[in-house]
Amino acid sequence: MLYIKNILSCILVLPLIGAFILSFIPSSSRSLLRSVALNCSCLTFVLSLFLWVFFNKSVGTFQFTENFFWIPILNLNFSIGVDGISLFFILLTTLLIPICLLASWDSIQVDLKKYLIAFLVMEFFLIGVFCSLDLLFFYIFFESVLIPMFLIIGIWGSRERKIRAAYFFFLYTLLGSVLMLLSILYIYYQVGTTDYEVLLTFSFSPLEQKIMWFAFFASFATKVPMVPVHLWLPEAHVEAPTAGSVILAGVLLKLGTYGFIRFSFPLFPEACFYFAPFVYAMSVVGIVYTSFTAIRQSDFKRIIAYTSVAHMNLVMVGLFSFNMIGLEGAILQSLSHGFVASALFLIIGVVYDRHHTRMVKYYGGLVHTMPIYVFIFLFFTMSNIGLPGTGSFVGEFLILTGSFKANTTVTFLSATGMIIGGCYSLWLFNRIAYGNLKTQYFKHYLDINKREFLIFFPLLLGTLVMGVYPNIFLNSIHFSTNVLVESMYF
Amino acid sequence: MRIETLLFKEIIILPELFLGISLVYLVLHSTFLAVRKNYPLIQTSILYLGVLVLFLSCLLVLNDGLDVLEQSVLNDTIVNDYVSFFSKLVIGSLSLFCLLMIQPYLINQKINQFEYILLILFAVLGLFLLCSSNDLLTAYLAIELQSLAFYVLASFKRNSTYSVDAGIKYFILGAFSSSLFLFGSSLLYGVTGTINFEEFKDLYVNVSPGNNADLSNISLVQFGLVFILISLLFKLAIAPFHTWAPDVYEGSPSASTFFFAVVPKLAIFVLLLRIFYYSFFGFFESWRYFIVIVIVLSIIVGSFGGIEQRKLKSLLVYSSISHMGYALIAFSAGTFESIQMLFCYLVVYSFSGLCVWSIFVLTRLKNNHLQKQNKDLTDLVSLGKSNYMLAIFFTTVLFSVAGFPPMIGFLVKISVFLTAIESSMFFVVLISILCSVIGTFYYIRLIKILYFEKVLVGKLYYPIQAQSSILISFLFFSFLFLFINPTLLYLFSYKLNLLVFTTV
Repeated sequence: MLYIKNILSCILVLPLIGAFILSFIPSSSRSLLRSVALNCSCLTFVLSLFLWVFFNKSVGTFQFTENFFWIPILNLNFSIGVDGISLFFILLTTLLIPICLLASWDSIQVDLKKYLIAFLVMEFFLIGVFCSLDLLFFYIFFESVLIPMFLIIGIWGSRERKIRAAYFFFLYTLLGSVLMLLSILYIYYQVGTTDYEVLLTFSFSPLEQKIMWFAFFASFATKVPMVPVHLWLPEAHVEAPTAGSVILAGVLLKLGTYGFIRFSFPLFPEACFYFAPFVYAMSVVGIVYTSFTAIRQSDFKRIIAYTSVAHMNLVMVGLFSFNMIGLEGAILQSLSHGFVASALFLIIGVVYDRHHTRMVKYYGGLVHTMPIYVFIFLFFTMSNIGLPGTGSFVGEFLILTGSFKANTTVTFLSATGMIIGGCYSLWLFNRIAYGNLKTQYFKHYLDINKREFLIFFPLLLGTLVMGVYPNIFLNSIHFSTNVLVESMYF
Repeated sequence: MRIETLLFKEIIILPELFLGISLVYLVLHSTFLAVRKNYPLIQTSILYLGVLVLFLSCLLVLNDGLDVLEQSVLNDTIVNDYVSFFSKLVIGSLSLFCLLMIQPYLINQKINQFEYILLILFAVLGLFLLCSSNDLLTAYLAIELQSLAFYVLASFKRNSTYSVDAGIKYFILGAFSSSLFLFGSSLLYGVTGTINFEEFKDLYVNVSPGNNADLSNISLVQFGLVFILISLLFKLAIAPFHTWAPDVYEGSPSASTFFFAVVPKLAIFVLLLRIFYYSFFGFFESWRYFIVIVIVLSIIVGSFGGIEQRKLKSLLVYSSISHMGYALIAFSAGTFESIQMLFCYLVVYSFSGLCVWSIFVLTRLKNNHLQKQNKDLTDLVSLGKSNYMLAIFFTTVLFSVAGFPPMIGFLVKISVFLTAIESSMFFVVLISILCSVIGTFYYIRLIKILYFEKVLVGKLYYPIQAQSSILISFLFFSFLFLFINPTLLYLFSYKLNLLVFTTV
């Protein structure tokens, strides 16, 4: 398969090429700009589908690996590759970026060119995070994502509070990750390289593992986000434009869990076992607390933001069960949350584009005027709760099964989060969709158009497929997870 | 590459000689021309003549340095080696860029006398001599030459009280620190009877404070070294000795601030290396703890002090204080790699400083009745709208200065931290890496001002000259290139620390 050898680097640089082309198109020709950006991101998605097609499902090692020299003197090189875990995160990224561009087709009025460039550059960074097999490059991409996201929140955010939100987002994440940088430097000093496959063969002493695990935890927990450092997330979500929220919930939160899976687990296994009760406690507090907080919010986006926190904490419970079922469930739940939360933010975006408010009290009885919209909303509300037949059910079921093996109390407590999840989701749906039409606030209603339907369709289909026949995802994930679990126990 | 036809390569101080003679000529030229011709004409011609002279001296430096032979002349007072070659080249090219960038500013502020250019050239001559000085007295004289030029540059705008005030402050405190240097040198001379670095090295090659019998002399040497160290840290504006810097930088004309914020740091670090690594490496452990305290202080002061600043210049001062702290981390690590990283850091620092200051000097507000330079941070508010490419460039450089990942500043910063970890300075690294997050806050505040604020009353800028925009875009692409291929930087600096360490 010689012709497919460089496909990963093609996927990596294609968004960058797109951004480069965009920078030469005058900003007055808006339709050309949009179509170039959309075509470029769609092409990236198609190429990443090829990545999935040609992916060898029967091995758990890295595939499509490539090496580039960077600073040979210091033994720092750039190597990329995918395994079953990162494959789907790349697919998720490349799927969500065209959706984001479509979602902001008309709503972005100012500086459209910069907006599109920011999104394509962010796609480059995100794919870089998921495919780089070098700890230092992982860090570089991981941090670089902040810059376009910071600009997207700050420039195209909706209110004056956006500046505060952008600061929150930037500084919280940065403060967490400089500690990770410190331990990356220590690892480089100890091992002499930051190449991932070399690092896997190195074992640190228990004390080093504990300290460095904690430094990595500070960074990833801010991204997930775990409870005391989750404050940036609702702020950032509320202030970001719709597409920014989508990418934030869909991909950026997964950077944290991906980091745990990729680096914390295989590099510091003993520390992982040592700190597992701590993570359980924080996750359970996160699930219950944020679920309750979600009930009493008045802002549509804030509710969904808090549910994201709850679901990502459930993913953390699954990860730290340290068995195959829990880990696979956690990865699957990450993916399905990437679909569902993105779709919910897009649903908010639809009504926000029409009425320019996100307060729940202004909406009501939308089922009378927007039936298709309400159907989609219902579907994703149900998958947010975890109805059987949707991807979230499979993910949550696997997570709870896995954690039942590890710690029954934690399973019990996290399961209460699902019940409260039913509360806030259904109540939110009730308030928005049913009841009387609040004509004193809005006079005109419009159901979703063809473009918006096209946005929702792939997400709807993906969630359904993931719920009905999850094996097409799981059989690619399986062997890589197996390798991971083996490397942790032995 | 070597220009054989010049035949002067035996005279290793040729660049300095050339610069000095051309300076004398330029003084005569402009003095005699000034009584007859129009003033601005002379300024322009002197500017381009100065650029030409600097360019030619850089060429002469190149001609010498490729021999990479350590030679010393004038009774061992001047030495020419790879360190001096490299730092002269960097200083020369930085001053070249600086001269080209400040021209519109000088005209706008009506300080475009020919003396300004000549003073800058004198300072460059002093810095060149400082880079290749091989004894304490030459170093002192070189420091004085550049400092005297700086004092006058600081107070050059005579009708502004701030500028005169800055000049006086700079003069008094600078003279004080120079006297500390002299005092330290006299102590060293009293103990050893020599002022030559080479002879210091021969004397103290196997001596360190712990293992020698003759303790009284050793402690006197340590005493003298501390004085010299303090005086040089004064010049670098490191934290406990930094209090002159915000006032002086704020008060003096921006073009002068530009020059003495960016250019002289590297030369002073070269002198520090020559004294503390080349001559007195045995005393490493005794001054290291002192330096570590200074580092922590200056990083904390630089990061926290910058938060409340409302003026761009003061913010840049605090930024430079913390950056000198980071550079000192590499200086205090004392390993082979650390000197390499020190040079990398200083080069990248100087070039990013060049970018930031040139943007600062080039952006001039229209409708500014007082003809003031834009001073407040909020004056940059419409740059994102009116000159978008400049704003993007500014953002890139700021992220690099903040040490944010996909930029070269990140790479050199983590290289510095890496060397510190290698010599087990975990605590220092932890503090400085946390402070760097706080430091990032004021850089991203600048970015916020550039992009996020809604502009109610638009402020417009004068267009930028073609030559400046060409230079700026050149700098921008070299910035991007350095991250994609940083090997160049590391190769250069590797050769440098070979020289510092072969003799230890």
